[in-house]
Amino acid sequence: MEDFWVEFVEITQSVSDGLLFGSTYALIGIGFTLIFGTMRKLNMAYAAASIAGAYAGLAMLAFVDAPAIIVFLASALASGAIGYAVYVVCFRFIPVDNPLAALMTTIGALFFIDEVIIHATNASPMAYPAIFDDVMIDIPPYSVRGDLLFVFLVGLLSMLVLLFVLYRTRLGLATRAVSQQNIAAQLCGIDVHKTNAQTFVVAGVLGGVAGAMTAASVGVLSPLMTLPLTVKGLIVTVIGGLGSIPGAIVAGLMVGAFENVFLYLRGVNERDMYVLLLLFVFLVFRPNGIFGKSIDRD
Amino acid sequence: MDYYLGLAQTIGIHTLLGLSAYVLMLTGQLSLAQAGFFAIGAYTAGILTVLFQWTILPALVAGALVAGFFAFLIGFPALRVRGLMLVVATIAFSEFVRLFFFNLSWRETIDNVEVGPDSTQGFREIRFFSANGWEVWEVTLFVWFFVIAVMAGLWWMDRSRAGAVLRAVGEDELAAQSVGLNLTAVKVAAMTVGGVIAGIGGALYAHTATYIDHLTFTVLLATFAIAYPILGGLSSVFGTLAAVVFIQGILIEGLRFLGDWRNVLFGLLIILVMNLKPRGIFDARTALLIKRIFAVHRGNRGDA
Repeated sequence: MEDFWVEFVEITQSVSDGLLFGSTYALIGIGFTLIFGTMRKLNMAYAAASIAGAYAGLAMLAFVDAPAIIVFLASALASGAIGYAVYVVCFRFIPVDNPLAALMTTIGALFFIDEVIIHATNASPMAYPAIFDDVMIDIPPYSVRGDLLFVFLVGLLSMLVLLFVLYRTRLGLATRAVSQQNIAAQLCGIDVHKTNAQTFVVAGVLGGVAGAMTAASVGVLSPLMTLPLTVKGLIVTVIGGLGSIPGAIVAGLMVGAFENVFLYLRGVNERDMYVLLLLFVFLVFRPNGIFGKSIDRD
Repeated sequence: MDYYLGLAQTIGIHTLLGLSAYVLMLTGQLSLAQAGFFAIGAYTAGILTVLFQWTILPALVAGALVAGFFAFLIGFPALRVRGLMLVVATIAFSEFVRLFFFNLSWRETIDNVEVGPDSTQGFREIRFFSANGWEVWEVTLFVWFFVIAVMAGLWWMDRSRAGAVLRAVGEDELAAQSVGLNLTAVKVAAMTVGGVIAGIGGALYAHTATYIDHLTFTVLLATFAIAYPILGGLSSVFGTLAAVVFIQGILIEGLRFLGDWRNVLFGLLIILVMNLKPRGIFDARTALLIKRIFAVHRGNRGDA
């Protein structure tokens, strides 16, 4: 009975830590889903751009001694700028009806960003600042890591800001119009290219926050983080349902909790295999994800 | 000389990899699972020759069949989704296979040496060729025997009803369905054939490289697999071969003096090519142009 109780506490503790960290996956998932929603295309370079943004924020420390919060902000802004560059290079001149060509260009951009990071840092991990990493909130028998709580709150705040932008501003109105019917939106005088570019910047800023928060909670930044984050982001997007923002939020938290439980049960080497199995379960039983709508969307 | 033979082996193996993606691409589907099938073929054949002391040919066939079997298995759930969703599903499959071999440890002592896959340390000492005294040129010939066999098989298939069926599904699924084609059967068959071809490639790779580890089979390898047919176009198997020669022979070997910057260039090259030619270098228009140029030559010769 005693053993069972200890085990139960450990697992629920893993779930809560995972839920908190899952907010970064939710942000990445939202980014993928936003771009898919407006353009019906996948941006494979998205997570790489987020990590690159975090690196850019870190690079700022080499010149000025800034507090961590400024580094986070710089990361988000840099990632937004990279998002714009990715749009121009990988999407702007690709025919609208050719999602596979855009897929290839963004995979190219993924490798390009990855390799540039590897060259700039000699592939060695770098320390990333964190906030509240010395705070521990104890609610016996549980304890909550202060930095993870901060990550969660930042994630929550970013989502609220995003929802505000989407539903209360003209930019959001244009974005939603383009994602619903881009030709009709064009007929109404909306500049589709401009709207798409703005969506990329918004998604990029969101990704930058996610990249910064991931690095802050792990404590280091490494080029090895881009591919796993890409795969996790894609999994979250698919499980949540392509194009669904609430779906991405729920799926992000779910994947975070799920992987953390398996981290506790099976160790770090096997953890990701179970996350992938979760994706397969969804592909077999609910290929359209939690909140996916149409059957034939691809 | 050995250097060029080694390069020929690499080109042959990557051609098999590209052709495995080519088959499924004919049906209009893009799969990044090829790295997974390649890994399954490599590890299966490697384990059979090293731990079970099989000779190369049965081990290679077994590797190809196991890879094909897994392609068949994942074909059903994966092909329920299409296009971009399939891309995500197949990336997930490749990653799963990679992580499986990352965790696989199967060590046995054979002839007083401990051999076999050693999880994070990789799978070393796959020395069938050198242990049995194969010369480099013999190995190269062995590799190219399979490359030519697969190319001939696919070339022939393309001219048979099977090729027409694959292309019909690729052109318009609705039209193909309405003339009575079973879409799932066609796609799963293409996936299986692709798996077998990738398995052969993987088995050859494991034995020519003598060392494999999970980092060989990342999304990068899967991207190479689809980049060849995309660059080479889908009009014939020779496009894929030309793309492999171009990328492996000219870009990667020819630019060796650039060192690690080659990898940066690879990303940029993909972006550039897809921006200029979204449907591949040898797209339908270019293929027609080439055909016309040759037709003109032939015509001239006829006149003279």
